[in-house]
Amino acid sequence: MSWLSRLFSKWLPKESSNWQWFYRLGSPRWFYQRSGQWLPWVSLAALLVLATGLVWGLAFAPEDARQGNSFRIIYIHVPAAFLAQSGYFIMAIAGAIGLIWKMKISYMVMKAAAPIGAALTFIALFTGAVWGKPTWGAYWVWDARITSMLILLFLYAGVMALQYAYHSVDAASKASAILALVGTVNIPIINKSVDWWYTLHQPATIKLTSAPSMHMDMFMPLLVMIVGFYLFYAVALILHTRNEILRRERKTSWVRELATAKAGS
Amino acid sequence: MYFENIPALINMSGHGVYVWSSVAVTLAAMLWLVIAPLFKQRELLQEVSRDIQRQQDRELAAKTAALSEPHEESN
Repeated sequence: MSWLSRLFSKWLPKESSNWQWFYRLGSPRWFYQRSGQWLPWVSLAALLVLATGLVWGLAFAPEDARQGNSFRIIYIHVPAAFLAQSGYFIMAIAGAIGLIWKMKISYMVMKAAAPIGAALTFIALFTGAVWGKPTWGAYWVWDARITSMLILLFLYAGVMALQYAYHSVDAASKASAILALVGTVNIPIINKSVDWWYTLHQPATIKLTSAPSMHMDMFMPLLVMIVGFYLFYAVALILHTRNEILRRERKTSWVRELATAKAGS
Repeated sequence: MYFENIPALINMSGHGVYVWSSVAVTLAAMLWLVIAPLFKQRELLQEVSRDIQRQQDRELAAKTAALSEPHEESN
């Protein structure tokens, strides 16, 4: 991958400039200490926003004229599918940063993002299947949107498996990063699948370019849930990344001091 | 509330079983995503402190051995 770093080297931030935060962010120790301070606040925010959105969506939003109450699954299905895809970008970008700038922490973020993304993809598929039963009459159909989401699950699984396929951590990170980057081709396919192919799946409810295709009373709780899922994702990613830091830095003096302090308390 | 009472909220005019099973599986998966790493973190830190303890024990043993050996030779 040295040709890749050479290619991008002219964009490498200079150490002396105001890019120092970029280098500090690259320090696992700095990230571990800082994220420990952020965690309680982000967790609290995630909990409050998710609870608000869930109660609002499940108990207060009006029911859908055609789908009845089964449509309420949207309040977990859409945010989970959203984050399953955003999480894939986060994983792939972290992998790219690792390949280009050889930043240690970004490979750890990439590894941490894989199981979280896989779980969110599973949630999207499961809730979609349960929603499909009363709406389409079937739990599963081999439809473009569902199949491309299943491929997303396999891509996450592939990144996770590659981490254990090499003895060298560096080789495992590079291989995973390349798979993650190649797999990004699937994301636009998931997005466009409802437009490109004839499908049972309903078209997107939310588009950046136009007003949502649902009533505000139904849309607001969905927006709250999406924000809540983003916050939850941040909490999960920080927690998994912190563990990866401990695993890879266990020989360093700061981790040893931390462990001794924890054991003493 | 949109529903008249709690039983209506749970039943959701027959769709309750779909909605609530989705919610239950989602919450379980999300809880696992945050609780598992917390347990793992404790385990990792305990492992490191066990390593430190073992290393200190070895060093102590080596020191006592080194202290007793020259004493025997000098006699």
